[in-house]
Amino acid sequence: MALSVDNIVKKYGSYTAVDGLSFEMTSPGVFALLGTNGAGKTTSIRIILGMLAADSGSVTWDGKKFLAAYMPVGYLAEERGLYPKYKINDQLIYFLKLRGMTGTAAKNALDYWFERLNVTEHRNKRAEQLSKGNQQKIQLIAALAPNPELIVLDEPLSGLDPVNAELFKSVIREEIKKNKFIIMSSHQMPTIEEFCRDIIIMNKGKTLLQGNLNEIKKGYGRVKLTVKAEGDIRNFAEQCGLSVTEETPNGSSFNVKSEEQAHRLLNMIIESKIPLIKYELREPTLNEIFIEKAGGTNED
Amino acid sequence: MRTKGWQNVLAFTLVQHIKTKSFIIGTIITCVVLSAICVLTNMLPVWLGADEAIEDSIGGSDDTYKDFENIYVIDETGLLTDEDFAEANKLGANMSKTDKDADSLVDELSVKETAEALVKLTEIKDKDKVISYSANVYYSEGSSSTSADSLSDLVHMLVDKRRMVNLGVSEEDYEKTLIDVDCTALKAGSKQVDMFTSLVNYIVPLALPLVLFILIFAYGQTVAQSIATEKTSRVMELLLVSVRPLAIVIGKVLAMGIVSFAQVVLVSSVCTISFAVSAPFGFIGKMTSILANSDIINTAGESAAQAGVSLDEIETAKAIGELFKNFTPLNIILILVIFILGFLFYSLIAALVGASVSRMEDLAMAMQPYSLMGVLGMYLAYLPVLFNMDNLMSGVITSNPAQVFSYYFPLSSPFALPGAIILGNLDIAQSLIAAVILAAFVVLIAIVVSKVYEAIILHNGNRIKFGEILKMAMRK
Repeated sequence: MALSVDNIVKKYGSYTAVDGLSFEMTSPGVFALLGTNGAGKTTSIRIILGMLAADSGSVTWDGKKFLAAYMPVGYLAEERGLYPKYKINDQLIYFLKLRGMTGTAAKNALDYWFERLNVTEHRNKRAEQLSKGNQQKIQLIAALAPNPELIVLDEPLSGLDPVNAELFKSVIREEIKKNKFIIMSSHQMPTIEEFCRDIIIMNKGKTLLQGNLNEIKKGYGRVKLTVKAEGDIRNFAEQCGLSVTEETPNGSSFNVKSEEQAHRLLNMIIESKIPLIKYELREPTLNEIFIEKAGGTNED
Repeated sequence: MRTKGWQNVLAFTLVQHIKTKSFIIGTIITCVVLSAICVLTNMLPVWLGADEAIEDSIGGSDDTYKDFENIYVIDETGLLTDEDFAEANKLGANMSKTDKDADSLVDELSVKETAEALVKLTEIKDKDKVISYSANVYYSEGSSSTSADSLSDLVHMLVDKRRMVNLGVSEEDYEKTLIDVDCTALKAGSKQVDMFTSLVNYIVPLALPLVLFILIFAYGQTVAQSIATEKTSRVMELLLVSVRPLAIVIGKVLAMGIVSFAQVVLVSSVCTISFAVSAPFGFIGKMTSILANSDIINTAGESAAQAGVSLDEIETAKAIGELFKNFTPLNIILILVIFILGFLFYSLIAALVGASVSRMEDLAMAMQPYSLMGVLGMYLAYLPVLFNMDNLMSGVITSNPAQVFSYYFPLSSPFALPGAIILGNLDIAQSLIAAVILAAFVVLIAIVVSKVYEAIILHNGNRIKFGEILKMAMRK
């Protein structure tokens, strides 16, 4: 199975919301769709799911035109929505039946998921009686209970407390183990980094960066240096052609052009006999890559 | 494929709507109120004594004068003879001459609990020439005006007869003079109709558009509200992963149509049961028994008299029979089809309006064109009837040009056609043409909906105006 998104374009008048988005998911795993607000992530997701028609381009699943309404898809939308006045159980049964499940299968699936997400007690309550976090759990149930092959999670952890965020993460890990195709959009980069294999960074509809996360990071190399010492090392850094990018209690951060530059600084600190507390030379985090890519173009 | 899943949408919308408190309470109140109206319509004529009032029975005049225990007569004219008093007694009126003073007798009667009356017969003269006779009937506290009216008729008959006999007319000839001449003014082209038919001809085309408007228009609004709620609460996005927008529209519109139709059937059933239960004791029961007895209807003579039925009652029963003659299976099916088409026409427009808003507070503004269309349609069906009042009440089955327009114009035809079919204003061919025109517009609206609904349902931001929706449809 494979999901293929090929050069999709969506325009609203003169504004291009999505400009030539292309990617492929040829094996199960998590694919991240990243971008600043208004980058075109949600529009892209809607087009992928067939809710919106693209002006050009195509989305295929196993070579056939992809339409969520007729495919095994689970979707957790960014903008949460439940019927406020209807009972949770009634509306979930409805959503699952719309996905083609029988009443009995839906009930059995719900029994499991209510238990799994600790919301059994809310089963017969109206949606308006639930907290935001619990409403989010109900919507995750709506997305996962039909056991879909493709799961689209748009900002799955936003607004969750740490305990529930961890619960969601554990559920996502389980789905990854089940070999599901997962597209995830989030602003929480550590989460994306934790789960995702491939990423796309979008800005104003355009694709800024795309590929396997590990390879992208390798491509950057170990260019992030953090040093913490008991004495002042700024002179040594200047001599090595480095300037401090960030000063925190954890130390001073530098962008290095090569590993040799970092090693030279290390040697100078050792030779000066200033006690060294921390020395870390690493690849950039996803957050740093994202800010570098999306932050720079966002200024205009 | 674009409609896959509409059955689930229909079932869910139907069940959830029926479970709402507003629907349950509204239906119960409607059933109770209309049921009470049905019982009252049936029983009020009996309770108010209208049954007695219209008893100008076929076998003779009203004889409630028999209720008087004593009838005193002061005859200042000297016309009435012992023979007349004997005849009155024979007819059951305990009538006797009195020499008492009229004023003191009237005073006595005013406090008497028993049923007694005084008849004071006087001449009115002009220059010694009698120009008329006057008979005042004073009745006691313990008697009724109905009996007094009946006594007046008896006195009138006795005086008339005596005058004729005094002029040398034989009793046989006098009987011949009693044959009535019934004069009626009729507009050319009209037919002679009784009061009941006149009322039906007038009320049906006035009341039915209002009832249909409430049903069709209100449930259309519910469709718009339901779709707007789903859109603004973001449920729509969840639904669209599973079904196409067109399936949602079809499911919702059909669900509301079924709810509306079921409510009509339920309320009608409750009304029918109320009528049926109260019928044996009231007006409708009597009408039904008259209609069931062909002897009474056909002869309107002795068998009617034997059954204790009046001419007015037979005429009313005939009018009811005429009205129900138009409830043929074909007409009933046609009315149902028109109701369904009308509902689809307005609900599909309402669905578009509901999908065009991103915030619930915009819905009232967005509904304005829909409301204007509905109100315009209703008034087009309603107002021409007012200008055709004379014709309708005199039984002319022709419609004025504005009415004819309202039968064929899709905005007004759902409200105007059923009444016209019930009254027989349109023949089958005309009714079918009107229904086909309405159906064609429903198809047109459905095409517009299928073209633009998917585009507007996920639109967030400013409300899409009705004109913009039409432009989008034209572009596609």
